[in-house]
Amino acid sequence: MTELHATRAIAVAEGSRSRSRFRTRRSAADIGLTVWSIAVFLFLFAPIIVIIAYSFNVGRLLVSWDHFGFDSFAAIVTKPAIRDAVLVSIRTGAVAALLATALGTLAGIAMARRPGKWVFWFIGLLLLVSVTPEIVDAVALLPWLVFLGQDLGLGIFSDGIVRLVIGHSLFSTAIVAYIVRARLVGLDAQLEEASADLYAPPLRTFWRVTLPLALPAVLAGGLLSFTLSLDNTIVAAFVQVSGTTPWPVYVLSALRSGLRPEIAAVSTIMLLLTLFALAMVAVVLRRAGDSATQIARTMAGS
Amino acid sequence: MASPSAPRRLPAPLLAFPAWAWLLFFFVAPVGMVLWFSFGYKPGIFGTHANDVLSFDRYIEALSPTFFATFVNTLWVGLAGTALCLVIGGPVAYWMAVKAPMNRRGLLLALVMVPFWTNFLVRTIGWQVILAPEGWLSTLLQAVGLQEGPLELLYTRTAVLIGVVYNYLPLMILPLFVAFDRVGGSLREASKDLGANRIRTFTQVTVPLAQPGIVAGVLLVFIPLMGDYITATVLGGAKGNMIGQLVASQFQTAQNWALGSAMAVLLILVIALTVAAGALLLWLLTWPARSRRRLVLGDAS
Repeated sequence: MTELHATRAIAVAEGSRSRSRFRTRRSAADIGLTVWSIAVFLFLFAPIIVIIAYSFNVGRLLVSWDHFGFDSFAAIVTKPAIRDAVLVSIRTGAVAALLATALGTLAGIAMARRPGKWVFWFIGLLLLVSVTPEIVDAVALLPWLVFLGQDLGLGIFSDGIVRLVIGHSLFSTAIVAYIVRARLVGLDAQLEEASADLYAPPLRTFWRVTLPLALPAVLAGGLLSFTLSLDNTIVAAFVQVSGTTPWPVYVLSALRSGLRPEIAAVSTIMLLLTLFALAMVAVVLRRAGDSATQIARTMAGS
Repeated sequence: MASPSAPRRLPAPLLAFPAWAWLLFFFVAPVGMVLWFSFGYKPGIFGTHANDVLSFDRYIEALSPTFFATFVNTLWVGLAGTALCLVIGGPVAYWMAVKAPMNRRGLLLALVMVPFWTNFLVRTIGWQVILAPEGWLSTLLQAVGLQEGPLELLYTRTAVLIGVVYNYLPLMILPLFVAFDRVGGSLREASKDLGANRIRTFTQVTVPLAQPGIVAGVLLVFIPLMGDYITATVLGGAKGNMIGQLVASQFQTAQNWALGSAMAVLLILVIALTVAAGALLLWLLTWPARSRRRLVLGDAS
């Protein structure tokens, strides 16, 4: 106790002795913090601004600026390879998002409403899925799909879109399951119990009560899965079949043969699409009454 | 009253079964296969793997001096990158959660998330454009006189470090923001009312309470950073500075699936061991603080 008193007395003494000095130091520290933060925000946006600016570059190579123009945007329409790659990405993204959302939602509801020993093992598996480096996923899936498709003769696993969807759905399933679980754990199960007590069959309770309660999380998870799939490069590069090359893999191969301004142009359009999807997620969550912090946590997948 | 309603609900196995099955079949099985490959060998020029003779030889091969240097380099980039993210992102998260105006916080969070959700490959290419010897930064630095001759940063370890810090910084800022936000103003005010100054409040109230968020941020950055493949390829060149590139090249160009698998398993082991070592270090470092607090409580009772 004496020690505690002593430290407290020292602290009080320190505080009163230099209160006036602190006021000036405090504002200096605050200004420093603000300046630092603004600098970091500029750092975060530097390459994005560069990509957007360079999408108006008319030149042979992306890196060297020639002059301003809209040629690169026109090239998207005229070059079928680019258009096809973007379409493959969007198709894969939609299917992968639907699949991951369905699997993840069911798993998330089960984890929130049927807690038990199995949840421990299941979360373990989800954690394993989300911490395994993507490159390991990629090199593991490639021989596995070759084994299923060629050695076992299951033709469906040789289909380009199916392969991409499988590869993109793994991480997203885990993320959707986390988000849905987090939402339902925060809501009381009384409504579902009431529905069951009123003799609603289990499926009707599920459709009419549980799912609507989880809906904001389901939509957020679905849109996040879509963006994650659009973004997926590593797994896609390994499992893709020629003919169904998704956009990021097209960019990766262009990296070796020379980047052209069209890449920046498509990236700018894709960025706008992603921002739109994210804004939708935020609106959905805001409507459901989440605070900025909760939205951040949902989007960070924790 | 609970028992009659229990059978009226969908059973847990039915709900979670599809996800279980999907992940077991497309995650556990393939990764298990890689583990199995890693004990095999590459038969001849055209074969990719064979498992009729099992050994740890591929692991020994993967740790031979040429590849071992890459492991050390990856660990260096991983640790330095994570530390830089913490040092750079920490003040930003603190500013956003504590100092920034309340009504601007949602917007600031959205701004942090924009790069996070921009295509990973594309934003890395953005850095390639910036750092290129013929790029605008190089021209600018030469014009100002800070740099003689073109900027020679691209395809070096520094460029990779800039790239990974950039790419994983939002993953550090977001959990730190949540952690600092959760500490709340009232506890800090209480600390100040009790006479602690700014620095003391920060080190003895804010940081200990935000510790779970700091740990989460470090893990969220360190784990994917160690497995990074894209940043190293775009900014580090084809030399192969990170393990991820080594693994990829064994599968894609060398066609030695056995060796690539052993490298992939080692990559996971390195990550797990480093995280375990970090946890032990944290436990030892916070030991004095914990034992001191325990003593004070013992005195009071």
